[in-house]
Amino acid sequence: MRVVIAEDAALLREGLTRLLEDRGHTICAAVSDGDALLAVVAEHRPDVAVVDIRMPPTHTDEGLRAALKLRHDFPGTGVLVFSQYIETSYSAQLLEGGAAGVGYLLKDRVANVAEFSAALQRVADGGTALDPEVVSQLFRASRQRGGLATLTPRERQVLALMAEGRSNAGIAAELVVSGGAVEKHVASIFTKLGLPPDESDNRRVLAVLRYLGGKPQLQDG
Amino acid sequence: MEEELWRVGGIVLRAPLARQTRRDLLYCCVSVLAGVLGFVVVVALLAFGLTVSASVLGTVVGLLLITLTLRLSRRLGSLHRRLSNRLLGQHVEAPQRFQPGTGVLGRLDRRLRDRAAWRGIWYSLVKLPVAFAQFYALVLVVCGLIDLSYPVVWVLYRHGNPAPLRMLQPLPFGGSPSIHSWVGSYFAALVGVVCVVAGTWLARGINAGDRVLVRNLLGPTSMAERVSELERTRTLAVEDSAAALRRVERDLHDGAQMRLAALAMNLGMAREKLDDQDDATVRELIDAAHRNAVDALADLRDLARGIHPPVLDSGLASALDSLAASSAIPASVTADLGQRPAPAIETIAYFCAAELIANATKHSYANQITIKISTERAGVLRLEVADDGVGGADAARGSGLAGLVQRVSTVDGRVDLSSPPGGPTLVTVVLPMKA
Repeated sequence: MRVVIAEDAALLREGLTRLLEDRGHTICAAVSDGDALLAVVAEHRPDVAVVDIRMPPTHTDEGLRAALKLRHDFPGTGVLVFSQYIETSYSAQLLEGGAAGVGYLLKDRVANVAEFSAALQRVADGGTALDPEVVSQLFRASRQRGGLATLTPRERQVLALMAEGRSNAGIAAELVVSGGAVEKHVASIFTKLGLPPDESDNRRVLAVLRYLGGKPQLQDG
Repeated sequence: MEEELWRVGGIVLRAPLARQTRRDLLYCCVSVLAGVLGFVVVVALLAFGLTVSASVLGTVVGLLLITLTLRLSRRLGSLHRRLSNRLLGQHVEAPQRFQPGTGVLGRLDRRLRDRAAWRGIWYSLVKLPVAFAQFYALVLVVCGLIDLSYPVVWVLYRHGNPAPLRMLQPLPFGGSPSIHSWVGSYFAALVGVVCVVAGTWLARGINAGDRVLVRNLLGPTSMAERVSELERTRTLAVEDSAAALRRVERDLHDGAQMRLAALAMNLGMAREKLDDQDDATVRELIDAAHRNAVDALADLRDLARGIHPPVLDSGLASALDSLAASSAIPASVTADLGQRPAPAIETIAYFCAAELIANATKHSYANQITIKISTERAGVLRLEVADDGVGGADAARGSGLAGLVQRVSTVDGRVDLSSPPGGPTLVTVVLPMKA
């Protein structure tokens, strides 16, 4: 997989480069600000770009704005946005154009190399990767208490993993159950919450997020 | 004795030629117009308003008229004050701005209680006699100037006219004496000089009185001044602490948090490598993680010291000693503290000293820094930081000194800076013992 990294702290930039190269990915370029990021993506057309939200010059949300531009200009490149903090408005903005090839993770997530790698792969393949912390915040803030209360604990776990953007296979691996069990849970959830059943994982993510409260409309994933 | 008389006489006689005189007379002119007009309007409105509101039917109208007068009084007061500031060289500030209340009764209440406006009305009333005096001064000067021209007029007048010339004189009694000969015309000129001089000095005197009136009736009261000073320094204090918190957040994010994230990444990778039996890489990753941890600890220690240095708990003197010990330029500390100041004051004094030492190290090329801390008199702490360097320190240039001055002013302290080019530099910070 071909990757571009945008991160202004040199220590982390080198760490990420090493981590990904260890796993066999190719780092086309590692840059430290938003303009350079747009330039190298235009030049190399990587499979996915890993972007830190806070970058020079103002250290507020340059990375987010660059990521949104990348989503718009280069739909073939997945964008995985990193942040020190979870900011729910950022995730809403990222998902506005649909859930395909977009990810939003906490920087802490790099500590678990396998999870980070899996999330990156999902995004590069056109799927979604939302940080579990984002999802649990959404659950806490959701006004759909009644609906969520009808689910069994196992079903809530499956719902959370769906919101993170995992496929059925991924959910099965995470919960250490069979694929068939996962499918049964998914069907039960969709019936209980009144969500339209859908094939595509991306649409599923959007449906779940929309259900949890105030998320963007369904668009072509 | 004789010399004194000549000197005083010279000053008295030369007064009309001074530039200040022209401004004085111009002020008298404008002031008479504005004063009389203001007086008439204010008295008319006020009288009408009071009489109307005395009757039951007209209370509302009367009150409205009175509030109208009060609003007018503020405007008039501002006009008079500006005139006085420009022409008489004063610097009286506007009284505090009017804050309207809410609701009909609230607004009425605030308007009627507007002290600055009532003082302005007093000024308009007292202005009438003042305006009369100013008018008289103008009359004197004009009369005098006309009389001064009589020697010339007499010569021109005599040619066609046998009748005597009448002289203008400023006193309201005695009529106009007539002039029969050229001697008389010179006498008129002399009277003219006397009138001009008298008019000038009267204008000066009455304007001085007017200045006093403006300062006392149209300026801010001392209580209001104190309050606006407190509001200003409170804003500074709040902004200062918000800025300090932002700095802390930024330092944490760019420093310790980043290093800990790198540490987590390295350990995660090391754990993966353990299965591959790649000992060399594992050791390398663990070394890197260890370095990250040590650096993170150093960052956090520096950050904590920047927020509250632990050494301050043992007292200001030992805190200053440790500052001096870590200074690049040799520094000595003399401490004479009778009692411990309040902790907030100790913190401010410590950071002032740290900032001043840093400034001296950066800019002064000095060989020695001297720090003195003492309780000057009961309730006052005095910090002096001196260096024998090149001087030229300026509070306007560079924000370090300006920020220090602001921080000190939030506790009603004072900073005195003496730094002539070529040195030496002495900065004195005076703080109250309790914040």
